[in-house]
Amino acid sequence: MSVTETVLKHLEKFSGTDQVRKDLNIDLFGEKLLDSLASIELVLALSEDFGLDLAPGEIEREEWATPQKIIDYFEARVKQG
Amino acid sequence: MTPYTSFLYFGISLYALIPAVIFGFFKRFWKAWLVIATAFMLVVQYSDINNEKKSVLPGIVLVLGYAVLQWLVAIGFLQIRKRGVNKIALYVALGLSILPLIVEKVLPFFEQQSPFVFLGLSYITFRSVDVLLGVQDNLIKKIDPLQYLTFLLFFPAISSGPIDRYRRFAQDWDKVRTKEEAVQDLDGGIHRIFTGFLYKFILAVLVKQYWLDPAAEIPGILGTLSYMYAYFLYLFFDFAGYSAFAVGFSYIFGIHTPENFNLPFLSRDIRDFWNRWHMSLSFWFRDNIYNRFTFAALKGKWFKDSQTASYLGFMLTMGLMGVWHGLALHYIVYGLYHGALLVLTNWMDKKYKGNRLLNDNGFFWQALSIFITFNLVAFGLLIFSGRLF
Repeated sequence: MSVTETVLKHLEKFSGTDQVRKDLNIDLFGEKLLDSLASIELVLALSEDFGLDLAPGEIEREEWATPQKIIDYFEARVKQG
Repeated sequence: MTPYTSFLYFGISLYALIPAVIFGFFKRFWKAWLVIATAFMLVVQYSDINNEKKSVLPGIVLVLGYAVLQWLVAIGFLQIRKRGVNKIALYVALGLSILPLIVEKVLPFFEQQSPFVFLGLSYITFRSVDVLLGVQDNLIKKIDPLQYLTFLLFFPAISSGPIDRYRRFAQDWDKVRTKEEAVQDLDGGIHRIFTGFLYKFILAVLVKQYWLDPAAEIPGILGTLSYMYAYFLYLFFDFAGYSAFAVGFSYIFGIHTPENFNLPFLSRDIRDFWNRWHMSLSFWFRDNIYNRFTFAALKGKWFKDSQTASYLGFMLTMGLMGVWHGLALHYIVYGLYHGALLVLTNWMDKKYKGNRLLNDNGFFWQALSIFITFNLVAFGLLIFSGRLF
């Protein structure tokens, strides 16, 4: 599964809507699609799927504001290893 | 001299601000000036014979000593962290870092005062803890002494925030502004400084003189209600005014210290309120307490239900926020009250998904939820004020 697909799959699950797939630049926190708990569940699910050891400090709301930003973030992280 | 409280202070601060504008405009020496001006203004701010907080040593010695201590803890921990994760080292470093703050908060409970108190102690501690956690997460990999100390001691925000973050500050520190950006910063700075004058010296003073102080004398429930609203407005104008000065001064040095307030009276629920009120503090608590606690709880599977972890996270975060103000009962109750409101809001959100009060964007429902939130918050601040108990 590609990075994009994995991110979107989890985003859909934790936001409970497919809006995140339709609009990759939607403001996840501003539109209340992700709350505090969902954002942490998302990070944990993604770090497990990508086999990364992410730290809680990596949840930066600005860097994680849209689906596209999260995809970019993980594409960079996965390449780093 | 307490920052932003007298015209003499603003007069003296021009000696720091005007060269900052000139150096910023000509793109020369601005970083050196940032350091020199901070040192100069620290001497001004901490060499006060009328300082209410009584200490054994002159304020300037305490504040510099404290910063150097924090720096030693930070670089010591960084060296250990480079060799790998070491939980014990993290706890020792955090303990050393917050020990002076704990002493300051606990001693008044025993009717004693810490001999090492100075204005801004807790705000410096927030910044230094932020660095330690960044090191732990491997997000901060080097600590430049000058940059670290300027971050900790940056004079516009040292006394009461806003609480900047090291990685954010580092971006401004490393950036060379263009002429246009320096002019924009100057514009943003002046605008905020005038907002500060309006809020702190006009509106807050008017509210206090003509509403808050008279209401404090009125007994009974009506007096208390009047006091509650007056106190909410006064706190806002006084602290938002202070924050506007602090952010405005920062901009002139090219440091974009984060904002503290964003129209809090328009909050639609308690979560929204904490995204608009004393934001730099609430974001600090969200990132460093709630996120970390919930992250660890979910990862370690401490509870069957992730909601439980989140609710406990809210109570813990807000409880600590309350205790941070002091060990008095009304502060603790204030924190737990907000924790409970956050739990309730999230529970309602889950239980009544698409609940109108929380989600409907029609005028009536929006106005109603703003009205309810306003009153819940005002009541919280009434607890905080200590008038009730």
